Amino acid sequence: MTAPAIHRPNPLHLLAAFGTGGLLTLMVHFNGELGLHGNALFASWSAHGTGTVAAIVLLGLLHRRSRGDRGPYGRAPLWAYLGGISGAVTVMLTAITVNSPLALSGTLALGLAGQVVFSLAADRWGLFGLPVRRPRMNDLAALGLILAGSTLIILSGAGAI
Amino acid sequence: MTLSILFAALAGVLVGVSRQINGRLSLSTSPLIASFWNHLVGFVALTAAGLVAGGLIPPGAFEAPWLAYFGGPIGVVFVAAGSWLIPRIGAVNTALLVIGGQMVSGVILDLFRSASQTLWASSLGVILILAGVVLTRRR
Repeated sequence: MTAPAIHRPNPLHLLAAFGTGGLLTLMVHFNGELGLHGNALFASWSAHGTGTVAAIVLLGLLHRRSRGDRGPYGRAPLWAYLGGISGAVTVMLTAITVNSPLALSGTLALGLAGQVVFSLAADRWGLFGLPVRRPRMNDLAALGLILAGSTLIILSGAGAI
Repeated sequence: MTLSILFAALAGVLVGVSRQINGRLSLSTSPLIASFWNHLVGFVALTAAGLVAGGLIPPGAFEAPWLAYFGGPIGVVFVAAGSWLIPRIGAVNTALLVIGGQMVSGVILDLFRSASQTLWASSLGVILILAGVVLTRRR
């Protein structure tokens, strides 16, 4: 599978991404429950553990024979296996900041800003070996609208997120 | 306080970094394999951190309802989906749509739980987000 440099995203892909956000809400909700009984480190640690087991089960169920066909991208560099480190550090940082004066809403709002700034740079320069994409005017307008809406929701005190 | 602000923003950057890295791995393997490595490596890193800092398994930790452990398997699907999407629609679109979906579903979940939220503000937020999503489709 190559990554087509299409200008206009497939609506099904956009819908999938939007639905993925719903999965995140469920995940945060369940992990919050674990954090309540244990702590943030325990919640993330056990979620990564049960997740590893679930991934092995899914891989076993969906196992296909197409081996050795790596497409145009070749072998993955070693650093590509280390995405989990970044995720683990995220957990530790947010465990600190939600207990600071920033609280949950400040942590979410600043995290949102960090994500957006990074994603703009990631697309602009094709960071970590992914395709370069230049944003269109509409993309930037959409960015403004989604950020404004998200900030409103965070400030309105919606507790699940 | 300055340090907290830095940490919170850095946490957001790292969410993007891991999605980008997992996306690269999925191009050479598959989204599910990328998700597997993400979880295994994260589990090892968190185990190490817990052993150094202590308090990995606090008292009462295992009294959580069993349903709460579904967060991990949901996370596997979440990371696999992100790894699949990011080479296809780009980092900005992936980040924005996932954030938008998270916010809107969070508002809905809160309605069901009747948790406190300022309804006019969260409704306006949902409208703005949906308008933004529609806009990503227009030329």
